[in-house]
Amino acid sequence: MGVTDSLKYYWNVKVVGEPFLQWQRWQAERHPKTPSRWRTDILSPPLRIGAKTKELISRHYLEGRYANGHRPVAWVTSGGPVEILQALGFYVLYPENHGALCGVRKAVVEISGEAENAGYSTDICSYARTDIGSMLSGKTPVGRLPKPDLLLACTNICQTVLHWYRVLAKHFKVPLILIDTPFVYSEASDHALEYVKKQLENSIPISEQVAGQTLDYRRLKEIIQLSKDAAELWLEIIGRGRHHPAPISVFDQFIHMAPIVEMRGKKETVDFYAALLKELDENIDKGIGAVRNERKRLLWDNLPIWYRLRYFAEYLAEHGISVVASTYTNAWGELAPLMNKEKPLESMAKTYTYPILNQGTKYKLDTMKRMVEEFELDGVILHSDRSCKPYSIGQIDQRNKLIQEYGIPALLLEADHDDPRAYAEEQVASRLASFVEMLDN
Amino acid sequence: MNMTIPPRKEVITDIKNHGGLVAAVLPIHYSRALLRAFSIYPVEVWGPPKVDVSLGGAHLQAYICSIVHNGLSFLKMGGLNIADLILIPHTCDSLQGLTSVLIDLIQPEQVIIPLYLPRGQREEDVAFLVDEFRSLYTRFSDLTGKHPTSKDLLTAIKREEMSDLLLTKLYKNRQQVGLSNIDFYRLVRSREYLPAEHFSTLAEKTLQAATEPRPGIPIILSGILPEPMEVLTMIDKMSGLIVADDLACCGRRLYAPGTSPDPFRRMAERIVYAPPDPTRGNSIEERLKYLTEMAQNSGAQGVIFYEVKFCEPELFDLPSLRAGLKEQGLASIIIEVDINNSLPRQVATRIGAFLEMLDS
Repeated sequence: MGVTDSLKYYWNVKVVGEPFLQWQRWQAERHPKTPSRWRTDILSPPLRIGAKTKELISRHYLEGRYANGHRPVAWVTSGGPVEILQALGFYVLYPENHGALCGVRKAVVEISGEAENAGYSTDICSYARTDIGSMLSGKTPVGRLPKPDLLLACTNICQTVLHWYRVLAKHFKVPLILIDTPFVYSEASDHALEYVKKQLENSIPISEQVAGQTLDYRRLKEIIQLSKDAAELWLEIIGRGRHHPAPISVFDQFIHMAPIVEMRGKKETVDFYAALLKELDENIDKGIGAVRNERKRLLWDNLPIWYRLRYFAEYLAEHGISVVASTYTNAWGELAPLMNKEKPLESMAKTYTYPILNQGTKYKLDTMKRMVEEFELDGVILHSDRSCKPYSIGQIDQRNKLIQEYGIPALLLEADHDDPRAYAEEQVASRLASFVEMLDN
Repeated sequence: MNMTIPPRKEVITDIKNHGGLVAAVLPIHYSRALLRAFSIYPVEVWGPPKVDVSLGGAHLQAYICSIVHNGLSFLKMGGLNIADLILIPHTCDSLQGLTSVLIDLIQPEQVIIPLYLPRGQREEDVAFLVDEFRSLYTRFSDLTGKHPTSKDLLTAIKREEMSDLLLTKLYKNRQQVGLSNIDFYRLVRSREYLPAEHFSTLAEKTLQAATEPRPGIPIILSGILPEPMEVLTMIDKMSGLIVADDLACCGRRLYAPGTSPDPFRRMAERIVYAPPDPTRGNSIEERLKYLTEMAQNSGAQGVIFYEVKFCEPELFDLPSLRAGLKEQGLASIIIEVDINNSLPRQVATRIGAFLEMLDS
């Protein structure tokens, strides 16, 4: 690590950046303003925590911008076991989160185009295309992404990440740690869990070598506990959607989930979610719902359609519909009970083998059914996501079973989480309109 | 040379008549020997092409590849009714998804058995696959009531190793065996359903009958499978000769003989250390080195990447592979197909132009 780079980091991040972002947040908290385009007639004002979310995310990317040369940098898949890297002082970047951010900022077509021009097919995942396009061109809405010193791909969300990270490894010429997590059809076998644990163990010397320091197991335990605490709080936050009216919609959850994905294992993440939970409880006490006139409540299955969040939130709110729960946001909390700092590697092996995306279609169907019952929902929207095959395969049968066997109205919408070229607004609008009409009848 | 390859239906009937069980096996890697030790005969299902896809379409989205669509359609139309079980290796997200849909939601009559293949070539990957095979052993024992000994397993393994050695020899003598592309691949792909001993007999006969080297513009075919097979006839007509391949159904399964005395370890090592394959997690560098050496050894002048639409494991590597091959002076082209469709004229034109370019 270089002295000049560290000085640059301290100056830009600690001296200038952080105080500025903090000041920006204070200003926003002291004089809360509802954005001019916000539909206050149908939606409650944005959550106050939004200012803190903005500060956290901006700071995270600011730190990344000046991380190279100051601290080791790892690029990690979103469901990757990050605790070991956190304990070794890595700055951790999640390309999928960056992809989502590009989606929200509507920058995907341009950045992904860079990958497509280099020969990458439009049939590969749009997150991957966006990331590879950014890698090749340097284009990003966050200023600059740090180059990785280490890559970590965990197959617990899909096999796509393996192929994607092989491309990154070739380009950046850095070590790639693979944590391969056998798919769970009903229950993970002992040898599968042992396999994952062994890989975690073997990842330590590689990570230590890149970080230039030895893993402190006490620190690892602390970080595991912080991850667990944040995930438990996130689960509680999602659980607040059980209230009528729900104080938080999934569209809010999609935005405020960023820290649980990319800042696990940090005290500030725990504090952030504690504050969000407190705000939601205050809103529950005041009877404030995310949607002003909540008449119907829905479940969202699969990833969000990042570039049309506002459209869906407003269209549904216009009809008094609040989407209050999601299998996707739930996935970031439901494994919290499995984490155990006293058995760090063993519990990490289990936690990272059991995400919803690494489990069978029946588990997903059961999760949907359970959430519909627990949250007292009126129906389900299943986003058939062209870019996420593991989440989407099975949805046709799941939708049919929800309707025919459980009597739950369900709608399958074709789109892509990041690429607007795979999204047909007119078709979606017409299907959504029919669904809404059917819910009312 | 006159070569009679028994058709798939005839082989399956013969197996059944002799009291054998049939396992329908989806792509790509598994242990034939493990099945055979239980008198279960593997018959592979690569698609098949040109079936009524509406049956699969009732369960799968349009952006899932045609191999998976057709596999499900074939099952739904009763094409796999003869199978006693269906073995599905976890080759990619789509095949894994299909396995899960079958087990959880469609629930066909046949037993569905998944096999997870590790994505690395490390010691822990071998150890895991050893355990996976042990677990399959228990499953097959439960199904058949049989308990083959280590000796039985090693006998089955050696039979497959012999067959694979002959297959490798066919590839090494590709230009000498005198077969057209279509005949060569009919023979090679009969390994997908012929019992090893039958395939070995055919391969030996072919090797003995080898005559004059066959002329043609030497090329490599890479991808998952050469379907529809008309593409091979088309390449024949255009004077192209596939001198080597990097196809998932063929060249990527030239498993080397094992050395371990432990049958489970031997089966696992053969798969983990097989030729590079993106679905088993080999790096782009390994694949590039393999392809480059393949071109050097076979004299190939170019590579046709013949890809099934929506196949992510293949698509990710293509830009880097093509750039690397170009640096080595090897031209390449990508052809994307849906195995359910007839070959469009456009494909013929592009392959023709590519061969012409190589020839000049």
